[in-house]
Amino acid sequence: MTTSDENQLHEISRELPAIDLDTTTAERIARRARHDLGKGPPRRRLILPIIAALVALGYALWGILKLIELLG
Amino acid sequence: MDADERAWVEGLRRGDSAAFDATFAAYRKRVYGYLVRMVRRRDVAEDLLQETFLRLAQHANRLAADTRLGAWLFTVAHRLVVSWSRAQAVRAQLAGDIPQRTPDPRSPLEALADSQAQLALERAFAELAPTYREVALLVGVEGLAPAEVAEILGHTPEAVRQRLARARTQLAAALGEHAPATWRTS
Repeated sequence: MTTSDENQLHEISRELPAIDLDTTTAERIARRARHDLGKGPPRRRLILPIIAALVALGYALWGILKLIELLG
Repeated sequence: MDADERAWVEGLRRGDSAAFDATFAAYRKRVYGYLVRMVRRRDVAEDLLQETFLRLAQHANRLAADTRLGAWLFTVAHRLVVSWSRAQAVRAQLAGDIPQRTPDPRSPLEALADSQAQLALERAFAELAPTYREVALLVGVEGLAPAEVAEILGHTPEAVRQRLARARTQLAAALGEHAPATWRTS
Protein backbone atom coordinates (compact mmCIF):
# COMPACT_ATOMS: atom_id res chain seq x y z
CA MET A 1 0.00 0.00 0.00
CA THR A 2 1.32 3.43 -0.95
CA THR A 3 0.83 5.09 2.44
CA SER A 4 2.73 2.24 3.97
CA ASP A 5 5.57 2.70 1.44
CA GLU A 6 5.72 6.41 2.25
CA ASN A 7 5.66 5.85 5.99
CA GLN A 8 8.28 3.14 5.84
CA LEU A 9 10.55 5.30 3.70
CA HIS A 10 10.12 8.22 6.12
CA GLU A 11 10.92 5.91 8.99
CA ILE A 12 14.13 4.58 7.51
CA SER A 13 15.27 7.87 6.00
CA ARG A 14 15.48 9.37 9.48
CA GLU A 15 18.44 7.05 10.02
CA LEU A 16 20.44 8.49 7.11
CA PRO A 17 23.44 10.56 8.20
CA ALA A 18 22.99 14.34 7.87
CA ILE A 19 24.80 15.96 4.95
CA ASP A 20 25.66 19.62 4.71
CA LEU A 21 28.10 21.94 3.02
CA ASP A 22 30.94 23.49 4.91
CA THR A 23 30.20 27.09 5.91
CA THR A 24 32.77 28.65 3.56
CA THR A 25 31.36 26.88 0.49
CA ALA A 26 27.79 27.69 1.52
CA GLU A 27 28.68 31.37 1.92
CA ARG A 28 30.46 31.44 -1.43
CA ILE A 29 27.45 29.91 -3.19
CA ALA A 30 25.01 32.25 -1.45
CA ARG A 31 27.14 35.30 -2.28
CA ARG A 32 27.47 34.30 -5.94
CA ALA A 33 23.73 33.65 -6.32
CA ARG A 34 22.73 36.77 -4.34
CA HIS A 35 24.80 38.82 -6.77
CA ASP A 36 22.44 37.77 -9.58
CA LEU A 37 19.25 38.43 -7.62
CA GLY A 38 16.62 39.99 -9.86
CA LYS A 39 19.01 40.37 -12.81
CA GLY A 40 17.22 37.89 -15.05
CA PRO A 41 18.87 35.10 -17.05
CA PRO A 42 22.40 35.87 -18.24
CA ARG A 43 22.69 37.42 -21.70
CA ARG A 44 24.91 34.61 -22.94
CA ARG A 45 21.84 32.36 -22.85
CA LEU A 46 20.36 34.58 -25.58
CA ILE A 47 23.60 35.43 -27.36
CA LEU A 48 24.78 31.85 -27.91
CA PRO A 49 21.67 30.70 -29.80
CA ILE A 50 21.82 33.89 -31.91
CA ILE A 51 25.48 33.23 -32.79
CA ALA A 52 24.68 29.58 -33.59
CA ALA A 53 21.78 30.68 -35.83
CA LEU A 54 24.00 33.23 -37.64
CA VAL A 55 26.72 30.63 -38.25
CA ALA A 56 24.16 28.14 -39.56
CA LEU A 57 22.61 30.81 -41.80
CA GLY A 58 26.04 31.83 -43.12
CA TYR A 59 26.89 28.21 -43.87
CA ALA A 60 23.57 27.71 -45.67
CA LEU A 61 24.12 30.87 -47.75
CA TRP A 62 27.62 29.73 -48.63
CA GLY A 63 26.20 26.37 -49.74
CA ILE A 64 23.55 28.01 -51.90
CA LEU A 65 26.13 30.33 -53.52
CA LYS A 66 28.41 27.36 -54.23
CA LEU A 67 25.51 25.50 -55.80
CA ILE A 68 24.63 28.49 -57.98
CA GLU A 69 28.30 28.78 -58.96
CA LEU A 70 28.44 25.09 -59.97
CA LEU A 71 25.19 25.27 -61.93
CA GLY A 72 26.08 28.55 -63.57
CA MET B 1 2.49 27.07 1.84
CA ASP B 2 3.23 28.71 5.19
CA ALA B 3 3.37 32.43 5.98
CA ASP B 4 7.19 32.50 6.05
CA GLU B 5 7.43 31.01 2.63
CA ARG B 6 4.83 33.41 1.24
CA ALA B 7 6.85 36.29 2.65
CA TRP B 8 10.07 34.91 1.12
CA VAL B 9 8.42 34.63 -2.30
CA GLU B 10 7.17 38.21 -2.01
CA GLY B 11 10.65 39.34 -0.98
CA LEU B 12 12.31 37.44 -3.82
CA ARG B 13 9.93 39.02 -6.31
CA ARG B 14 11.05 42.44 -5.03
CA GLY B 15 14.74 41.46 -5.16
CA ASP B 16 15.11 41.48 -1.38
CA SER B 17 18.41 39.83 -0.46
CA ALA B 18 17.20 39.02 3.08
CA ALA B 19 14.43 36.89 1.54
CA PHE B 20 17.02 35.17 -0.63
CA ASP B 21 19.23 34.48 2.40
CA ALA B 22 16.27 33.05 4.33
CA THR B 23 15.36 30.79 1.40
CA PHE B 24 18.95 29.67 1.01
CA ALA B 25 19.24 28.90 4.73
CA ALA B 26 15.99 26.95 4.70
CA TYR B 27 16.62 24.88 1.60
CA ARG B 28 20.36 24.61 0.98
CA LYS B 29 20.87 21.54 3.16
CA ARG B 30 17.84 19.74 1.74
CA VAL B 31 18.70 20.46 -1.89
CA TYR B 32 22.38 19.65 -1.33
CA GLY B 33 21.46 16.36 0.35
CA TYR B 34 19.29 15.43 -2.62
CA LEU B 35 22.00 16.43 -5.11
CA VAL B 36 24.87 14.69 -3.38
CA ARG B 37 22.91 11.46 -3.04
CA MET B 38 21.91 11.63 -6.71
CA VAL B 39 25.28 12.46 -8.28
CA ARG B 40 27.39 10.88 -5.52
CA ARG B 41 30.13 13.49 -5.85
CA ARG B 42 30.40 16.44 -3.49
CA ASP B 43 32.16 18.72 -6.00
CA VAL B 44 29.46 18.16 -8.64
CA ALA B 45 26.71 18.53 -6.03
CA GLU B 46 28.18 21.88 -4.97
CA ASP B 47 28.24 23.11 -8.58
CA LEU B 48 24.65 21.99 -9.14
CA LEU B 49 23.55 23.58 -5.86
CA GLN B 50 25.10 26.86 -6.96
CA GLU B 51 23.37 26.63 -10.34
CA THR B 52 20.03 25.86 -8.63
CA PHE B 53 20.22 28.98 -6.45
CA LEU B 54 21.61 31.09 -9.31
CA ARG B 55 18.51 30.22 -11.29
CA LEU B 56 16.32 31.11 -8.32
CA ALA B 57 18.07 34.48 -8.08
CA GLN B 58 17.81 35.10 -11.82
CA HIS B 59 14.12 34.14 -11.96
CA ALA B 60 13.20 35.74 -8.65
CA ASN B 61 11.29 38.69 -10.10
CA ARG B 62 9.27 36.37 -12.33
CA LEU B 63 8.14 33.97 -9.59
CA ALA B 64 4.38 33.58 -9.23
CA ALA B 65 3.04 34.79 -5.87
CA ASP B 66 1.90 31.25 -5.01
CA THR B 67 5.22 29.56 -5.89
CA ARG B 68 6.08 26.67 -3.60
CA LEU B 69 9.80 27.22 -3.21
CA GLY B 70 10.61 23.63 -2.25
CA ALA B 71 8.96 22.21 -5.34
CA TRP B 72 10.50 24.94 -7.50
CA LEU B 73 14.03 24.29 -6.22
CA PHE B 74 13.75 20.50 -6.42
CA THR B 75 12.40 20.77 -9.98
CA VAL B 76 15.47 22.79 -11.01
CA ALA B 77 17.79 20.46 -9.10
CA HIS B 78 16.19 17.40 -10.74
CA ARG B 79 16.63 18.91 -14.23
CA LEU B 80 20.26 19.73 -13.50
CA VAL B 81 20.87 16.15 -12.34
CA VAL B 82 19.28 14.83 -15.54
CA SER B 83 21.44 17.13 -17.71
CA TRP B 84 24.57 16.21 -15.80
CA SER B 85 23.80 12.49 -16.09
CA ARG B 86 23.24 12.82 -19.84
CA ALA B 87 26.51 14.72 -20.25
CA GLN B 88 28.29 12.00 -18.26
CA ALA B 89 26.78 9.30 -20.48
CA VAL B 90 27.85 11.15 -23.67
CA ARG B 91 31.34 11.68 -22.28
CA ALA B 92 31.61 7.99 -21.42
CA GLN B 93 30.44 7.05 -24.91
CA LEU B 94 32.89 9.42 -26.60
CA ALA B 95 35.71 8.10 -24.47
CA GLY B 96 34.95 4.64 -25.90
CA ASP B 97 37.23 2.05 -24.47
CA ILE B 98 39.60 4.52 -22.82
CA PRO B 99 39.77 3.35 -19.22
CA GLN B 100 37.69 5.58 -16.99
CA ARG B 101 38.61 6.67 -13.51
CA THR B 102 36.94 4.08 -11.33
CA PRO B 103 34.87 5.65 -8.59
CA ASP B 104 35.94 5.13 -5.03
CA PRO B 105 33.85 2.22 -3.76
CA ARG B 106 33.51 4.03 -0.43
CA SER B 107 31.69 7.25 -1.26
CA PRO B 108 32.12 10.46 0.78
CA LEU B 109 28.59 9.85 2.01
CA GLU B 110 29.53 6.50 3.45
CA ALA B 111 32.36 8.16 5.33
CA LEU B 112 29.70 10.13 7.25
CA ALA B 113 27.99 7.01 8.53
CA ASP B 114 28.80 6.38 12.14
CA SER B 115 27.28 2.94 12.46
CA GLN B 116 27.04 -0.23 10.42
CA ALA B 117 23.32 0.34 10.04
CA GLN B 118 23.84 3.85 8.63
CA LEU B 119 26.52 2.56 6.30
CA ALA B 120 24.22 -0.21 5.07
CA LEU B 121 21.43 2.32 4.57
CA GLU B 122 23.62 4.76 2.64
CA ARG B 123 24.84 1.91 0.42
CA ALA B 124 21.29 0.61 -0.09
CA PHE B 125 20.18 4.06 -1.30
CA ALA B 126 23.26 4.31 -3.54
CA GLU B 127 22.50 0.95 -5.13
CA LEU B 128 18.99 1.99 -6.13
CA ALA B 129 18.56 2.87 -9.80
CA PRO B 130 18.53 6.69 -10.10
CA THR B 131 14.83 6.74 -11.07
CA TYR B 132 13.93 4.90 -7.84
CA ARG B 133 16.51 6.70 -5.73
CA GLU B 134 15.17 10.16 -6.56
CA VAL B 135 11.63 9.16 -5.65
CA ALA B 136 12.80 7.55 -2.42
CA LEU B 137 14.81 10.66 -1.53
CA LEU B 138 12.11 13.17 -2.37
CA VAL B 139 9.34 11.27 -0.57
CA GLY B 140 11.30 9.53 2.19
CA VAL B 141 13.91 12.11 3.10
CA GLU B 142 12.27 15.35 1.98
CA GLY B 143 8.78 14.39 3.02
CA LEU B 144 7.18 15.54 -0.23
CA ALA B 145 3.84 14.06 -1.25
CA PRO B 146 3.82 11.70 -4.27
CA ALA B 147 1.63 14.19 -6.16
CA GLU B 148 4.20 16.93 -5.58
CA VAL B 149 7.04 14.61 -6.60
CA ALA B 150 5.10 13.72 -9.76
CA GLU B 151 4.97 17.42 -10.60
CA ILE B 152 8.69 17.85 -9.96
CA LEU B 153 9.70 14.85 -12.06
CA GLY B 154 7.09 15.32 -14.76
CA HIS B 155 5.46 11.92 -14.18
CA THR B 156 2.00 10.81 -13.14
CA PRO B 157 1.34 10.32 -9.41
CA GLU B 158 0.64 6.65 -10.16
CA ALA B 159 4.09 6.22 -11.74
CA VAL B 160 5.64 7.83 -8.66
CA ARG B 161 3.73 5.46 -6.36
CA GLN B 162 4.91 2.46 -8.37
CA ARG B 163 8.51 3.63 -8.20
CA LEU B 164 8.12 4.25 -4.51
CA ALA B 165 6.92 0.68 -3.95
CA ARG B 166 9.80 -0.72 -6.01
CA ALA B 167 12.31 1.49 -4.23
CA ARG B 168 11.07 0.25 -0.86
CA THR B 169 11.25 -3.39 -1.98
CA GLN B 170 14.78 -2.95 -3.32
CA LEU B 171 15.88 -1.10 -0.19
CA ALA B 172 14.53 -3.89 1.99
CA ALA B 173 16.37 -6.49 -0.10
CA ALA B 174 19.62 -4.49 -0.02
CA LEU B 175 19.37 -3.84 3.71
CA GLY B 176 18.81 -7.47 4.62
CA GLU B 177 19.33 -7.83 8.34
CA HIS B 178 19.60 -4.03 8.74
CA ALA B 179 16.02 -3.52 7.45
CA PRO B 180 13.55 -2.46 10.14
CA ALA B 181 11.59 -5.39 11.58
CA THR B 182 8.34 -4.01 10.14
CA TRP B 183 9.82 -4.11 6.63
CA ARG B 184 10.71 -7.77 6.88
CA THR B 185 7.20 -8.79 7.81
CA SER B 186 5.48 -6.69 5.11
